[in-house]
Amino acid sequence: MAVIFALCITGCASSSAIGKDPAGGDIINLRFVTYDNGSVPLDAKEVIAAANKVSAEKIGVTINLEFQSKEKINLIMASGEYYDMIFTSSWINPYDKFAPAGMFYDITDLVKSETPALYESVGEYWDCAKVDGRIYAVPTLKDMGAEDMFRFNSDYYEGKKGMTIPERMDFAQLEPYLAAYKDDFPDKYPLAMDKSGVAGYYNCVQRVVDPIIVIPYGQDTPKAVPFWECTEIMDRYRLLHKWYEAGYIHPDAATIDSTAADKTFPVRAGVAWKGYMGYSNPADWGFNVKTSVYDGPFLSRSSEQGAMTAICAGCDEEHATAALKYLELLAIDRKFRDILGYGIEGKHFNYLKNGTVLRTATGSERYNTKLYQTGSGVNASVESISEDVLSDPDQWEKVYEGYRQDGIYSKTGDFYYDPTPKEDIITALTAIYNGYAAELRTGTSNPDKVIPEIKARMEKAGLDELVSDIQEKLDESLRK
Amino acid sequence: MMKKGRKTYGRNRKHNGHLLMMSAPAIIWFVLFCYVPMFGAAFAFKNFTPKPGESLVRNLFVNSRWCGFENFSFLVRSSDMSNILFNTLFYNVIFLVAGIAVPVVLAILLTEIHGKRFLGVVQMVLLLPYFLSWVIVGYCLYGFLATDEGLVNHVLKLLGSAGVQWYQSPKYWRGILIATGLWKSTGYSMVIYLCAITSIDRTLYESASLDGAGFWDRVRYITLPQLLPTIITIFILQIGSLLNSDFGLFYQVPLDSDSLASVTQTLDVYVYKALMQQANFSYSSAASFLQSFIGCILLVTAHVIISKMGDQDSVGV
Repeated sequence: MAVIFALCITGCASSSAIGKDPAGGDIINLRFVTYDNGSVPLDAKEVIAAANKVSAEKIGVTINLEFQSKEKINLIMASGEYYDMIFTSSWINPYDKFAPAGMFYDITDLVKSETPALYESVGEYWDCAKVDGRIYAVPTLKDMGAEDMFRFNSDYYEGKKGMTIPERMDFAQLEPYLAAYKDDFPDKYPLAMDKSGVAGYYNCVQRVVDPIIVIPYGQDTPKAVPFWECTEIMDRYRLLHKWYEAGYIHPDAATIDSTAADKTFPVRAGVAWKGYMGYSNPADWGFNVKTSVYDGPFLSRSSEQGAMTAICAGCDEEHATAALKYLELLAIDRKFRDILGYGIEGKHFNYLKNGTVLRTATGSERYNTKLYQTGSGVNASVESISEDVLSDPDQWEKVYEGYRQDGIYSKTGDFYYDPTPKEDIITALTAIYNGYAAELRTGTSNPDKVIPEIKARMEKAGLDELVSDIQEKLDESLRK
Repeated sequence: MMKKGRKTYGRNRKHNGHLLMMSAPAIIWFVLFCYVPMFGAAFAFKNFTPKPGESLVRNLFVNSRWCGFENFSFLVRSSDMSNILFNTLFYNVIFLVAGIAVPVVLAILLTEIHGKRFLGVVQMVLLLPYFLSWVIVGYCLYGFLATDEGLVNHVLKLLGSAGVQWYQSPKYWRGILIATGLWKSTGYSMVIYLCAITSIDRTLYESASLDGAGFWDRVRYITLPQLLPTIITIFILQIGSLLNSDFGLFYQVPLDSDSLASVTQTLDVYVYKALMQQANFSYSSAASFLQSFIGCILLVTAHVIISKMGDQDSVGV
């Protein structure tokens, strides 16, 4: 009931306004809702005002940028609230559910005629936004494929133990590192682990019904299967359980919300891209960090949909055009892009001599957003972590080059699965999955014991019906 | 007859005016938060497909089609629905009985404490847990039960035992949950009974004592009978929420541990877990509609039965 009432309160807001700019033309103000990634930056208002000053002058558009939680975005969508631009992706505000349902503006023709530079900049990545050939959102250019890595305390491993940390390693190769630390500190747990598991361990499959039905990469004829039929995932669960039993993982990991506060763990995991320095600042950790990629980069429709911006289906053409113009400015004007990305120059960040940016203490504390939240990552300046540890200002070219060379590409093309008709089955399966998930991914439970149980229960709840429906749609899409 | 009725009504209106005004905030609250949102029950029977930018009422009643009981199907699809319903009813029945018995006993015992200051301290200590949020209670309990750093396992290890992985051992948790639930709620319900006992006519006790009645006799023949209307009121109120459970107790306190699901999963927890990722409001409405509907039937039934049993006091409930 509380949810419903909240709907009533929030359901009837409308906020798009047209004002006069000093030069005499009309200024269009847009409501831009983005994902808050956990918290709203303190100086958001000030930064948006600074950005609005520039954008009003350049294209006559200003924004009212809102950082909203996943739940609030769900509510905005479900209640049909008005917005102009909204964050959508494969993981927050699911694009493949709302685009086919007609919730977003069809920009296929508009983006070509009104904002050719934006159309040009996205290039081949438009494909991930296509629903039956039509485009309903602008993909944000950032890290488009998932690269999963382990982050080591290199002072300990390389300095003290004399072990080498390779640039790439297999998931299973982590074991000796964990064992070495456990030998030295029998009371400690080497692998940082909370209830969400090892970051990125699941990226080696394409998730169709996240995370229950998956399509493994590398198959010539892609098949949708329940996750336990994917050997890679199962091997990881078995390894994790082995590590749990060996005491490499905290015994209560499945109930721990976060390990962020404990900086002693010598091994963590993360998902990033080549050249990313955010994990490596010794000032953050108290030791030097070296990363080693264990997976990827995997590229699929869902990884490329990591962040997108959609326009409300209820917008008129004037607002839709204004929204595209705004996204175009973010995609081509670097100085402007850096404002929403890093804040106000001199206060929140400074440019370094090689063209990268360094956040100030104020910036780190009061406007520490991730680039994907506010627009193109590729068009923003690259962030360095200190004046001594400079990032490569041209890292993105290398990242994209890496995708072309080493990328593991999905073979499912523009296949997407609209979950709406089978939502009751998916809901029941999700409930079953959630009853095991945290203990599986933290290694707490033995996969060979619980998987048969999960399988039996899911089959009762209609798993086979769902899988065959997905496979049917997949085959149909592949035939096209 | 008519004339007399009207006269009484007029006098009553004048008399009741003050009372009505006093209760106005509560009445307004109920209308706003319990009656107005009731139209939302329609969510449960609609395939909700909003059009962006249109009002909620229009989206609900015009843009969405009626779909009968389709939204309820996810509830029956779950193979462990029987276990979930059992848990919900099991805990609620225990809380219904113990949630009345324990505070009543405590309230009676407290009236026997004569030191004013000590009484105050005891009351406060009992009441305090009520004001803690479940999240805090959950982590306090974790302080006791953590496998590695927990107090209980430390003691067990000192005693030579191996320690227990509490959050992976469902067999202890029915007891733990009932104890935690009572620990938190008892103080608050006790206050209600304490008030009721205070309002019992003291002369009854005095004359009973003169007639030679001991403590037990006074409790049995005066306190309990006088408390009965209050107990029945609370009982009826509780029975209406027999399918609802305290979400915090069953979700936050076990820290959402998967192994414990077989004993901690109640209907509310299931619905939350099933819908957390989907944000399908029609499904959530269907579940809460079912709870309210059955709750309403239970409440009315209990009310009728108790009225039939001839206890006039409960009729006013």
